[in-house]
Amino acid sequence: MTDQNYIVEMKHITKRFPGILANDDVTIQVRQGEIYALLGENGAGKSTLMSMLYGLYEPDDGEILIRGRKVRFKSASDAADQNIGMVHQHFKLVENYTVGENIVLGIEPMKKAFGLFPYVDMREANERIRALSKSYFLEVDPTDVIADVGVSTCQRVEILKMLYRDAEILIFDEPTAILTPQEVEYLLRVMRELRRGGKTIILITHKIEEIKRVADRCAILRRGKLIGVLDVAETTTQEMANLMVGRNVDLQSRKTEAYFGEKVLEVDALSVRNDDRVQVVRNVSFDIRAGEIFAIAGVSGNGQTELADAIAGLMRVESGTIRLNGRDITRGNIRERTEAGVGYIPEDRQKYGVFLDFDLCSNLCLRRYYKAPFSKNGILDFDAFGRYADELIDDYDVRSAQGRKTSVRSMSGGNQQKAIVAREIEEHSALIIFVQPTRGLDMGAIENIHKQILAERERGAAILLISLELDEVMELADTIGVIYNGSLLKIAEASALTSQEIGQYMMGVTAN
Amino acid sequence: MKTISNDFGVKIKSALARFLVNEKWTRLTVPLFCIALTALLSSILLLILGKNPLTAFYSFLAGNGFAAKAKYGAGVGMISDFFQFLNIMAPLLLAALAFIFAYRCGLFNIGISGQMLLSGFLATIWVGYAKELSGGIAKPLVLGIGLIAGGIIGTIVGYLKYKFNIHEVVSTIMINYIISYVTGFYINSYYVDQVSRSSKVISTASRLTFTKTMVLGNYCNVPLGILIAIGMAFLVRFILERTVFGFELKAVGSNRNCALYTGINVGRQIVYSMMISGMLAGLAGVTYYLGFTNTIIPKTLPGMGYDAIATALLGNASPIGAILSSVLITIFQNGSSYMSSMVGVAKEIASVITGILLLFSACGQYFRTVASAYLRDLAEARPVRHESGEEGEENELRP
Ligand SMILES: Nc1ncnc2c1ncn2[C@@H]1O[C@H](COP(=O)(O)OP(=O)(O)OP(=O)(O)O)[C@@H](O)[C@H]1O
Ligand SMILES: [Mg+2]
Repeated sequence: MTDQNYIVEMKHITKRFPGILANDDVTIQVRQGEIYALLGENGAGKSTLMSMLYGLYEPDDGEILIRGRKVRFKSASDAADQNIGMVHQHFKLVENYTVGENIVLGIEPMKKAFGLFPYVDMREANERIRALSKSYFLEVDPTDVIADVGVSTCQRVEILKMLYRDAEILIFDEPTAILTPQEVEYLLRVMRELRRGGKTIILITHKIEEIKRVADRCAILRRGKLIGVLDVAETTTQEMANLMVGRNVDLQSRKTEAYFGEKVLEVDALSVRNDDRVQVVRNVSFDIRAGEIFAIAGVSGNGQTELADAIAGLMRVESGTIRLNGRDITRGNIRERTEAGVGYIPEDRQKYGVFLDFDLCSNLCLRRYYKAPFSKNGILDFDAFGRYADELIDDYDVRSAQGRKTSVRSMSGGNQQKAIVAREIEEHSALIIFVQPTRGLDMGAIENIHKQILAERERGAAILLISLELDEVMELADTIGVIYNGSLLKIAEASALTSQEIGQYMMGVTAN
Repeated sequence: MKTISNDFGVKIKSALARFLVNEKWTRLTVPLFCIALTALLSSILLLILGKNPLTAFYSFLAGNGFAAKAKYGAGVGMISDFFQFLNIMAPLLLAALAFIFAYRCGLFNIGISGQMLLSGFLATIWVGYAKELSGGIAKPLVLGIGLIAGGIIGTIVGYLKYKFNIHEVVSTIMINYIISYVTGFYINSYYVDQVSRSSKVISTASRLTFTKTMVLGNYCNVPLGILIAIGMAFLVRFILERTVFGFELKAVGSNRNCALYTGINVGRQIVYSMMISGMLAGLAGVTYYLGFTNTIIPKTLPGMGYDAIATALLGNASPIGAILSSVLITIFQNGSSYMSSMVGVAKEIASVITGILLLFSACGQYFRTVASAYLRDLAEARPVRHESGEEGEENELRP
């Protein structure tokens, strides 16, 4: 009888992948018109569960009911027929099509010119898109080309794509991981708006704060099992965090007294141009001493990534110098820099950080494979690979289905990131560059990585931390530099700045 | 109600599906399944043409010395046919290895035929026509020229890609034309045999195949190339799987950005990979023009350079797979004339069969996916069958 209220019911769902139970007898019931959050550690099985609701996988066991009726999805289009839409962790848009074309792709409004020649009526489609975007505050211009717009617009396009197909049940897989705080704010508003419009939303996220603010109920998954379903209004953040990880989480990391040593990194008047010949880093100078965490705060797209790439050697320097331990490495190639002591956790993990088609073992050994004992006289020693990989998998709690033999492509996003962080930290380089090190990680893993960053600091590494999360910057940094439009507007001791001040500088306000 | 025959059908189907999905053996079972399908479809084709497919397949094998022919000429036997088969297989395998080496680095070397032709041509005019050289000197020289000539072309292609970002498909096609016409011009001007209209025959000493050698009372053409080819297959496997060089090569092929991030010298790796690919193609060229044949037809690129691509892909782009696939492709190509004479269909039917085989192999992964989906449906269907009965369903689902 109460079943009438549930629009989505997934009962006793079990899903196996080779070597792992991704979902183990999971039952969730979602009410019409609510925001239902899914919370869980990396690899807990959230994406897998939703992929089954969206028709990408079929469950091994259990059943799915939509509006009380049993369904069996063979493909995503079956799910779309039941008004289910999904925004994936990684966007699926055609880069050189316009916003409007992407939205109508597959269900183009066809007309016939002179009653004979079929063509796509983009004008009508664009009108409908404009109307939709107005009613849900999803600002887009249907005639923009996707390649020219930012991530947050891409996300709006994905949402409009669902709405255009009359989706009633909207699934968001970690939508906020790639957004700046302002954009997150905006997205949460859109979600509330959608709920007001009668849509049902299932939201996957690692940020309990966000759940607290928009969700009505929250299901917690741990290692494939459903741990509980909570009423968000009646549960504290700490309780949720503890339930998710299965132990007490320390949300505040403890920083020891700073002890700075010699200058490790000296960047002097550095400028960088990108492939389009635009100067993206302008005349940037700063130093990092041993044992110091230097954090760069800023709104995404203000030159942070390029600055990191230039120091690591992935991007050419236009002018200025970079010195490591007094040695000029401005023109050195990447291998020379890593050997000289630069570790780098890049922003785009699937593009730069890992070989998706290689196994976990090879990926963990990327910094060492050419040296003894991993190879001798150019011949690889896979026993050494295996021993080292197992060690890292253990120490950093990298979870995967088949241990070191797992192909990285099949690993959950968060565990891919853990593998990269493990590999880079383990080099114990003089300088370690972290770009968004905790993006897409669960709270337990974040806690862990923050601990490791602090441990490296205590060891005496110089750390360059680039993060879009102001909280992370405030928590870890000894020194903060705020970047705006490619220039460092302000460098100051972390204790001398408040988040409000940093926020001001991030928007380019200098007079303070 | 299920009839007995129906249940039996399900059993066969699920056994077949399990055979294909089996983790450990899938790399072998899927190709075997593809071969079986090819045999089936070509049989139907032959039946439609009114021919006996069994005779056809038997004559393919007999044509290659894997089965006995009805009758043999004086002094030749099954073993002679087998050696002839090896004569063709050697360059095909080398050419397939050439393709694989570039392919694993993310490069598409479709200039293998040009590289074969140039190295064959140079070895012919420099060593093949030097009558005074003895076999012990001529043969290593031929191999050396093959390696160097192919290697140089490969290096040029790799360098153009690395320095000027010229796509290897474009440059190899253009170089193919240049080689074909330039060598054609020289052969027609200086080296042509007025009777055969192809280049003059090379000296026996320089030929990589020992012709008319007595083996077990039969005259055979014993190819040196097959030993080189099989040795190279294992060497390539070793390089790709066990060395730092191979690791970096595959890294560049898998994700160029990440290879860069890792500190691999991507440009150098591209040049080396094309160079070695070219060297293997050069070896293929000399075993073809100074082994399998002993003359060059001017202005004609060897079709084997393209068959090699199909052979490599059929063998899953793995060196050991290439050995098996080149055996298979050679059986069809080399056996076609005997088959045609025995069965009375056009020789080209062999190419059709090869085509079918390639088509099915391209679908290998698809077959496997279908099989695993079928197994899953079967597993799901079982509890449902009980469901129609009574309650207790809950227990059935969860033992
Ligand atoms: N296609 C696949 N093949 C094999 N294993 C898979 C596949 N997809 C997921 N897995 C495994 O299933 C488990 C659950 O993965 P899933 O992607 O659902 O995690 P998640 O909860 O979304 O984690 P994250 O927060 O890190 O994205 C992981 O251990 C993963 O390695
Ligand atoms: Mg996920």
